[in-house]
Amino acid sequence: MKYSVLIIAALLIAAACIAGCAQQPSSTQESSAALQDAIKIGVIASLTGPASNVGTNMWQSAQIAADKINAAGGVTLKDGTTRQVRLIVGDDESTQAGGQKAATKLITDDKVDILVGGYSSAVTSAYQQIIAEYKVPYIVTGASSPIITHRTDIDTSYVFHHCPTTDTYGEYTTTFIDEVVRAAVNKKLGAASDRPFRLAVLYQDTAFGKGVQTAVGNTITKKNLNIELVSLQSFKMGESDFRTQLTAIKAAKPDAVYIAAFPNEGAPAIVQARRDIGLNTIFLNVENNDNSQFYKDLGQYGEYAIIESRFSPYIAPAGAVAAAQDDFKQAYYKKFGTYPDMMGASTYEGVFIATEGIKSAGTTDKTAVREALTTLKMPQVIEAMKDSTISFSSDFRESSFDLWMEQLHMDAAAGETRPKIIWPDNLKTTEFVLPSWYEAGSSA
Amino acid sequence: MDDISIILQILFWGLYAGCIYILLATGLNLIFGVMKVVNFAHGEFLMVGAYITFTVFLFTGLNPYVILLLSMLALVGIGAIVERLCFRPILGTGKLNEIFLSIGLIYIFQNGAAMIWGDAWQSVKSPYDGITVPVGPLSVPLDYIIIIVVTALILCGLYLFLKKTTIGMQMRATSQNRKGAMLVGINVERIDVISFGLGCALAAAAGTLWVVSGQVFNPYMGAIPAVKAFAIIILGGLGSIPGAIIGGLLMGLAENGAAFLLGGIWKDAISFIVLIVVLVIRPTGLFGGKEG
Repeated sequence: MKYSVLIIAALLIAAACIAGCAQQPSSTQESSAALQDAIKIGVIASLTGPASNVGTNMWQSAQIAADKINAAGGVTLKDGTTRQVRLIVGDDESTQAGGQKAATKLITDDKVDILVGGYSSAVTSAYQQIIAEYKVPYIVTGASSPIITHRTDIDTSYVFHHCPTTDTYGEYTTTFIDEVVRAAVNKKLGAASDRPFRLAVLYQDTAFGKGVQTAVGNTITKKNLNIELVSLQSFKMGESDFRTQLTAIKAAKPDAVYIAAFPNEGAPAIVQARRDIGLNTIFLNVENNDNSQFYKDLGQYGEYAIIESRFSPYIAPAGAVAAAQDDFKQAYYKKFGTYPDMMGASTYEGVFIATEGIKSAGTTDKTAVREALTTLKMPQVIEAMKDSTISFSSDFRESSFDLWMEQLHMDAAAGETRPKIIWPDNLKTTEFVLPSWYEAGSSA
Repeated sequence: MDDISIILQILFWGLYAGCIYILLATGLNLIFGVMKVVNFAHGEFLMVGAYITFTVFLFTGLNPYVILLLSMLALVGIGAIVERLCFRPILGTGKLNEIFLSIGLIYIFQNGAAMIWGDAWQSVKSPYDGITVPVGPLSVPLDYIIIIVVTALILCGLYLFLKKTTIGMQMRATSQNRKGAMLVGINVERIDVISFGLGCALAAAAGTLWVVSGQVFNPYMGAIPAVKAFAIIILGGLGSIPGAIIGGLLMGLAENGAAFLLGGIWKDAISFIVLIVVLVIRPTGLFGGKEG
């Protein structure tokens, strides 16, 4: 009996150890003496839970940025000292409670100088109170709901939003549907140009998903678009079975389906729609799905799906950022054996923005860094920005990206689909294609 | 798609979801019925079953429905080890010990799986992917028909095992009266190991069918199905195998009906609403006896 009790105790201790190993794969980037006096940047990412795929990509991308900054000599402050950058990760566990725990630990135990990261608006907004209380500058690079900096119930003045909001890309995608998809569908049907376009939205029931759904509705109203929302179906975060919602969508006879989901939700939703439900339509996806795992999970069912994007693991728009994107992808591949995704790209830039803010302030004093970030104007890093410059708007501290729409085409060599830019005209490499198997919602 | 077809389609998805729940809940009830232990880590056996299927498929390319047997066999072994090392020593020492032990097991299995396979979402493509068959007015993927048939076969096999074999009868005897079973010479500890292994094998079958149906999975996938399995066995009646079957089916149908009528966010909530309603009307569950 005693022997058995010992075994149980050993197993529980092993569980705790393994939990430590697996859930916190690396609590700090390095711990050498050279980094003891370093600038401490806290990275909040989902290393475990439903968003772990994207979260891991964010954390690894931050490491590539820190490596590059340190290799270039570090950050020189006003007092003439040059300091290295040290990253400390906080795993939000893809949950609100996990996010609160991670933010509190990074701020109070690790005493970070600045924070970067944050994925899932629901999770990020849950720990913003802690950021407001301790007044730590935070560059949010993943959570895309505008509430992150628009909310008025707490002080958000230390929060800077470096990723397009659901308002921005929801409007962008809806405009694309109206200008491009509608015309192609009407042409295929031989329908009059005033035929209402039938759009369905499948959205995650969180601030992120609801934000996209609201943006679509607002855009239709604001621009007076001839788009009819025929079905609005929600699902809970982390869902893997969408068949019932997709059946309801099919019954509503849509011309296209806009999916506001994470990659681990969006890919099975499209596979189930095409394979199980026979919903042969165009699926439009939010930018966070431009992730190598998404392409892998989609397989052939992803063919002709569309992603609104600003950074892709597989293509880069022609122009000033192409070479920088390639450098980043190669460095990432060399270190981790995979390709970075979009949230990784903005987090990579987030670390550069953080260090630029500290450099401009000449100190790690949090109030001074906040002031420096407010007036920051730095050249774009790897993603195409408006006016080729990273800066934050004076009202809600949001940066502005150049977006594009891409369509997925089967790549026989890869055995998966690969994206091609189809919109806007100055970036597109090919035209939008309405596949032969496409079925419009109604014939006229 | 007319209204009847839509309703039939939703019922079909409910039936499919019910199959996964039935296997998971039947396994859990088998263990509870014989050992009276509360194992919150039961969903982790579903997860391990999914990963075994994934791994064997990745390395051998075998038909996943064949791997189902391997997965079940592997989980019989894993279940027997867990029972012997973890649950047997604390049997009868109080429910709190069982609860904390099973919570510890959740961490061990989840983090162990994350270390071995990583925590990225994975999926497996069935060899019958893309094949549909007509069922009345519906055209449904062949995989779902196979899943329903496989579930029915497993349940028939379990029924025959419990009714016709000596070990099955000993399991039923132990479930009905543990002390009485000991008095008539049944080695109840041996029965415990077999029951636990068999319960885990049923969870493994659920995991394999989950994978084959094209749903994504990761090391943390077992938590929600386990909670639902508990709701199902309470709904059906603790220790009752028919209760687990009816409860699982009811849950699958209720979830998909709620997702269609009320929206996807009600999918999980409806399980517990049904549970509360049933318990208010019949506190012992649908098939529960006095002890339930």
